[in-house]
Amino acid sequence: MELKLFVSGIGGQGVQLIGKTIALAALTEGRHVMLAGEYGGHMRGGSSVVAVVIGLEPVRALPNLPEAEMAIALSHSYWEKVSTRLKSGSLILAEETIAAELPNDGGHRIVSVPAISLGVQAGNRLAASMAMMGAFSELTGAVSPEALAEAMIEQLPPYRRQHAPTNQTAIQLGVNCAREHYGSRVHPAPYLAELAA
Amino acid sequence: MSKMRLLDGSEAIAEAAIMAGMKFYAGYPIAPATELLEYFAAKLPTAGGVCINADTEIEAVNMALGAAQVGARAATGSCGQGLALKQEAIAEAALNETPLVVFNMARNQQDYFQATRGGGWGDYHTVTLAPKDLHEAVEHTHLAFHIADKYRVPVIFMGDNLIARTQMGTSLPVPELDPLPPKDWALDGKMGGTGKSRWIWTFGGGKAGNPGLGPDGYWRQIAEKFEHIARQEMRHEQGFCEDAETVVVAFGSGGKYVEYVVRELREEGYKVGYFRPITLWPFPGPALEAATRNARNIFVFELNAGQMIQDVMLSVEGRHRIKSIGGVSFDDSGLNIGPMMDARIIRERILAQLNGEPIRQLPISGMGAYL
Repeated sequence: MELKLFVSGIGGQGVQLIGKTIALAALTEGRHVMLAGEYGGHMRGGSSVVAVVIGLEPVRALPNLPEAEMAIALSHSYWEKVSTRLKSGSLILAEETIAAELPNDGGHRIVSVPAISLGVQAGNRLAASMAMMGAFSELTGAVSPEALAEAMIEQLPPYRRQHAPTNQTAIQLGVNCAREHYGSRVHPAPYLAELAA
Repeated sequence: MSKMRLLDGSEAIAEAAIMAGMKFYAGYPIAPATELLEYFAAKLPTAGGVCINADTEIEAVNMALGAAQVGARAATGSCGQGLALKQEAIAEAALNETPLVVFNMARNQQDYFQATRGGGWGDYHTVTLAPKDLHEAVEHTHLAFHIADKYRVPVIFMGDNLIARTQMGTSLPVPELDPLPPKDWALDGKMGGTGKSRWIWTFGGGKAGNPGLGPDGYWRQIAEKFEHIARQEMRHEQGFCEDAETVVVAFGSGGKYVEYVVRELREEGYKVGYFRPITLWPFPGPALEAATRNARNIFVFELNAGQMIQDVMLSVEGRHRIKSIGGVSFDDSGLNIGPMMDARIIRERILAQLNGEPIRQLPISGMGAYL
């Protein structure tokens, strides 16, 4: 069973970074992965969507995913690009400031994550994407926070190495926040059962 | 298994080409082939090779032709629009028997005629490999150089922008391929005395002591060679065809999408199958004929106005109801594949054809967003 996740938001929010970090983390944990960005031109302020697929076998999903059962929403802008492709009962992690504005027309479980606040708490508002990934890790068990941190550090260019501790803190704050408010693995990654068997 | 890396298709193809021993690449930037050129520029020099960002597509292909004629594994690349400019050199490579790999990172699928019919002069074809995803693209990169060397022919690698930019975890496996004959025909740069040829040209001429076949004899020999290749190199993939009433034919990424939709429809009880030509030339006609022997319908999905459908018709000789369920579909930015490459649209079109309903046309997206 493959985990299919959309990350959606506005160009510049770190949408593609979240997708790549989760994919890299899963890869280091021995999973098969696919990562497909959807954008018409790389422009700040425009729509940014990325699809991540993780599985135990070589990925069979299509590059522009027809459907998924998990999503991370950093903005309500362009949300329709993703919402029409979510299966009913999907898990949606939404940034707290926009969670109320996401229409829930598919019986989805919308989890509000104060990612920006957690980023600020960790030391940098821009670390919101890291906090969001921490929450994703805790709620789904798809990737470990350690693998996320490792993947984050792998992607930092040398001139941005100073942000690693802040990012790492933000990931942990996201984990803690999700556990406290919603619990662990409330929407487990589909392959966890296969791994356990 | 060696370590998995997360690579986009362009980087995976570039890595595979370097692993296959490619020593020369020349290209001119154009989306979505630019990344391939960038990776080669970054990585080929440290692998003992040369990458040149040429001034034009025509220069690039002729540089690659020259490199191939001294025996190096050489390639050029562009998208279909750029390949239009390279046609003369590709035909030369076919007629003067130069192994040359041409990467076409296509923008949609309007390149089928160009690849399979050829735009240059003479009785030649270009072997065309159309991978469905990154994993097959890695395999086909090795295969393209192998087939080029084996028969001394140009080979087109037909990728697209979905393959170019989708990232997948890959260990970059190297396929096992048969040993190749030595390149004893390659130019050595000497003016005489080595016994090797001093020139490679397309008219079958020789030297005073060994006058050669001349154009008539030589071109017959070339035509026979392509007939031989056609018999040897047909490749395809198929599924659920044995009891299928309807077989859907598609190539490249389109084949992957059709396979996905057909599996879905099968689970719902529809008697459909899929057939994917892996080589566009030689087109696997006999295999298609066998796969559709029990079928009534053949639907062809391609992002063009109807190109491969001609090869489908030639292969099955009018025994079926053959319908196109594709059409021209182009992303106006040039940075995405056409919106018709969508599982939901393919599904809708298969069902419409089965139910005898009209196919819904997609709205034209227009240039508004880009002007």
